[in-house]
Amino acid sequence: MSWALIALGVVPLVAVAASFTCGWRLARAATAVAGLVSLGLAIALALAVEHGRTLSSAHGWVRLDSLGAVFLLATGLLYAVAGVFSVGYLHADEQAGDFGRFARRYFVLLNLFGWSMLLVPLASDFGTLWVTVELTTVISALLVATDRTDAALEASWKYVLIASSGLGIALLSIIVLYATGTHALGDAYLPRFVRLIAHAHGFSIDAVRLAFVLAVVGFGTKVGFVPMHTWLPDAHSEAPAPVSALLSGSLLAGAFYAILRFFQVAVAAGERSFAEHVLIVFGVVSLVVASLFVLRQSNYKRLLAYSSIEHMGVIALGIGFGAPLAVAGALLHVITHASAKGLAFFGAGSLLRGYDTKEIAEVTGAGTAMPWTGPMFLAAALALCGLPLSGVFRSEFQIVCGGFAEPQYVGVTLLIVFVNLAFFGILWHAGRMVLTPVAGGDVARGEVSAWLVAGMLGCLFVVIALGVHLPGDLTALITNAGHRLAAPAR
Amino acid sequence: MPVLPDWVVQVCQVLTVLMLAPLISGVIARGEAIVQQRTGPRLLQPYYDIAKLLRKETVLPGPAGLLFRAAPYISFAGYATVPLLIPVLTNYGLPLGYMGDILGGGLILGGAGFAISIAAIDSGSPYAQLGSSRLRTFGALNEPTVIFVVFVVALTTHTDLPYVLGATLRASTVEVVRPSHLLIIAAFFMLVLNETGRIPVGSHGGTLEFGQIDEGRVAEHSGPGLAFLRWGGSVKQLVLYTIFANVLLAPWGVASSGRLDDVALAIALLAVKALAIGVVVIVIECSFAKLRLYKLPEFTVASFMLAVLAVVIFLFQPGFGDLRLTVFGAAATVTAVVVLLLELGMLRSQDVWEQLGLYALGSAVVAALAIATAASGHGDSSLYVLAAVTIALKALLFPIGIRFVLRRLEADPRVPSTIGIPSALLIAVALTAFAFVVIRPIHIDTVPALPLSALPVAVGGVLVAFLLMVLRPYAPSQLLGFLILENAVTVASLVIAPGLPIILALLLLFDLLIGVLVFVVLVQYLATERTAVRTDMLDRLTG
Repeated sequence: MSWALIALGVVPLVAVAASFTCGWRLARAATAVAGLVSLGLAIALALAVEHGRTLSSAHGWVRLDSLGAVFLLATGLLYAVAGVFSVGYLHADEQAGDFGRFARRYFVLLNLFGWSMLLVPLASDFGTLWVTVELTTVISALLVATDRTDAALEASWKYVLIASSGLGIALLSIIVLYATGTHALGDAYLPRFVRLIAHAHGFSIDAVRLAFVLAVVGFGTKVGFVPMHTWLPDAHSEAPAPVSALLSGSLLAGAFYAILRFFQVAVAAGERSFAEHVLIVFGVVSLVVASLFVLRQSNYKRLLAYSSIEHMGVIALGIGFGAPLAVAGALLHVITHASAKGLAFFGAGSLLRGYDTKEIAEVTGAGTAMPWTGPMFLAAALALCGLPLSGVFRSEFQIVCGGFAEPQYVGVTLLIVFVNLAFFGILWHAGRMVLTPVAGGDVARGEVSAWLVAGMLGCLFVVIALGVHLPGDLTALITNAGHRLAAPAR
Repeated sequence: MPVLPDWVVQVCQVLTVLMLAPLISGVIARGEAIVQQRTGPRLLQPYYDIAKLLRKETVLPGPAGLLFRAAPYISFAGYATVPLLIPVLTNYGLPLGYMGDILGGGLILGGAGFAISIAAIDSGSPYAQLGSSRLRTFGALNEPTVIFVVFVVALTTHTDLPYVLGATLRASTVEVVRPSHLLIIAAFFMLVLNETGRIPVGSHGGTLEFGQIDEGRVAEHSGPGLAFLRWGGSVKQLVLYTIFANVLLAPWGVASSGRLDDVALAIALLAVKALAIGVVVIVIECSFAKLRLYKLPEFTVASFMLAVLAVVIFLFQPGFGDLRLTVFGAAATVTAVVVLLLELGMLRSQDVWEQLGLYALGSAVVAALAIATAASGHGDSSLYVLAAVTIALKALLFPIGIRFVLRRLEADPRVPSTIGIPSALLIAVALTAFAFVVIRPIHIDTVPALPLSALPVAVGGVLVAFLLMVLRPYAPSQLLGFLILENAVTVASLVIAPGLPIILALLLLFDLLIGVLVFVVLVQYLATERTAVRTDMLDRLTG
């Protein structure tokens, strides 16, 4: 199976090359195909590692275990759907003068972005991990600015500065961890996860703690933990919808994956409860602040962005609770949130194409004006609130159960209260957009393109499927990944 | 070789200072003239001036009394007494050498200045009184800095005798490169500039009234009185330079016995040290503008903050253990402190071109650290690559490129801070102290020779970089804040893990990625022809 690891790193690059050299029609086809192939490869790899195998290739520089596979699945899913959705999303612009150049640039960057995010879970050492995460920042910053409006440029500027400063801190954390390891591992070694975890019991406790806190602050900037979240709503609202979906479902999760690798080292060094407490604090703060901000949004893309912060808080809480059920729930939540938030952002993109506004107040009657998009956007909102039948319900329910089992009553109570607050906020806004009568008659009836609907349907299928029946393979994968977090030495 | 009795050496100390002082003033005046492409006065001009004035008659203003006539001689006597107390030529106390400590010396210097100020008031001239009151006003602000510098000396040596501090430094060279000591060196140097009326505080010898602080006071004096005031002024300058060099910076090269050749060598070395300081003063005088009068307290506050930081750091640094002095260790600590000081300079600066220059300078210092690390055998030769890339990208390409883009955008070079400079410096000092508090309990088990006390300074640098980004709502300043953050991270990584290939590779990649980002984003700005690069506009997107 190790050929698939290499293939996963090559397929998007082929699409990049195709987009770069050929016309935009071929570029968009290549992007959709590359996304679907990557998803297929990701699923194949996940099946291969679900029982605890690790795959490695290229002299150990590329490595995948069950923990990485969870995040690989989320990225693969969104990359595939974003490729399909982009076809329809750009359809409206096709008449514009320099559309060819714009589309090629867009597809080149989109494929590069997908490629860089697929690389994150494939890294086998902290250095490569950091480089790949920084790579996602560089490429996504260009994607955020791709519309070249003033607001988009400013969002991109803010994103670059804040996220890169965060990654500077993350680099410091890697250096601290590395320096701690020199005692046990010699002066010049590769900071592979496996080796650091195996020797972590001999590390200086203070240094491991410092490294973990620095990592949570540094990578947490990209995860969107409050108070380092300020770039996130701007970038998410100004980026093109498919990019927003990738940012929210995949980029944030990828940065969280980096934190989980530090978490493993901290657990192996015997600092499990310290690390959990740090995650709980950041999780609770993010959840509380984000759910309050959800209530007062007037821009539906920003609304979804704050919902992403809230969900990242939920994931951090799930890991922080520490009970196996909660950890499994948190890992499942990575995938369910990716699918539900992808659906929501794709719906938002479709609404943006139909109504040409991001203001909630100016979107009315989406349910009748856009018969596919409206209901699916509402479904996405319901899923994000964690209603049964959606996968998000299952994962959040597991996290809450795990919290009660641990028991972490304060954390669980806050979780329940503020998730419900966000529930109210999202549903209130989404209801006003979809379930109202159409105001004015000038809104185009129907969808802009069938490709938009196809993309959304794909996501909706995953959201419902995960809620109705969890495949046995996925359960095995997540259970195994949970074991890796609980006792990394194994 | 004959051995001089102690009292002869003591007389030599005083005579050396008295005779050498006008020469130093002359060299600085001449050097400045050369840099400014003027011919300038002769090197020995101060001697001729003094000789000429001594031959002239004294003209007294109407209201002048005894005090006015006596003041030049009182102050000169004061300035001539201080060399007895400080290690000018020897490393051991001479007769009368222990009759006063640092505070005693400061008291005598202060008393001499006080006599001149009183005389200025006695003259009845408003011009002289203005100079006098101005000097008192700003001079009073210097006192806290002096006190805190003395604190650090006292904490280091458990006394406040200048001889003992010199002996402590000689016995354990590592003391010189302790962060706290480097900071009091910086604070004391600012104090010397302030006390000798150099730019950026005052201008020497000009005739513009606003520029004068020291000169205004003596406006009414003439003849031998003026000669002694001028002479006294240069003696005071040399005394301060001597304290700076022979007590704080480089207490080496002084005689350990009264042997004639030792003493002669010490005299020569003192001249060399004083001239070296003079060269630095020339560079500063020619590269900065004088501060506006009401900005002067900022300068004084800055030196005070450095002294406070030195005390705080001193209290926390024993946690980092005794380090052995290596070239690498000294270079790392000095680099970390210099990078921090440059960041404080950027925090103070209100001008984007000045910030760019400070950033380029900081990058060059970081590159020098990389070279020193490799040369002292702590890393492999790939460090030279890092140094080369650092110089090429961060010291040359980034500053020049940013300058080019900003010129094209016609961006406003003024980047005022959102809060006052003294408050900003106070926060910066608190952040650096916080870095020491946080990192102190961390034990990183690596090579014992690693200069671990440089690590919290570098981490403090990271925090101060964040502060700069927060306090300046301007895109260029924020970008520079981010870039100096990266410099501080580089220093930190060179300190903990010098020359480890993987870290170096990461740093290089970081540089390159940042380079790509900086230019792509800046060029995008250029493409949209934005006239104002202000991030205040981001208010539109809040909520």
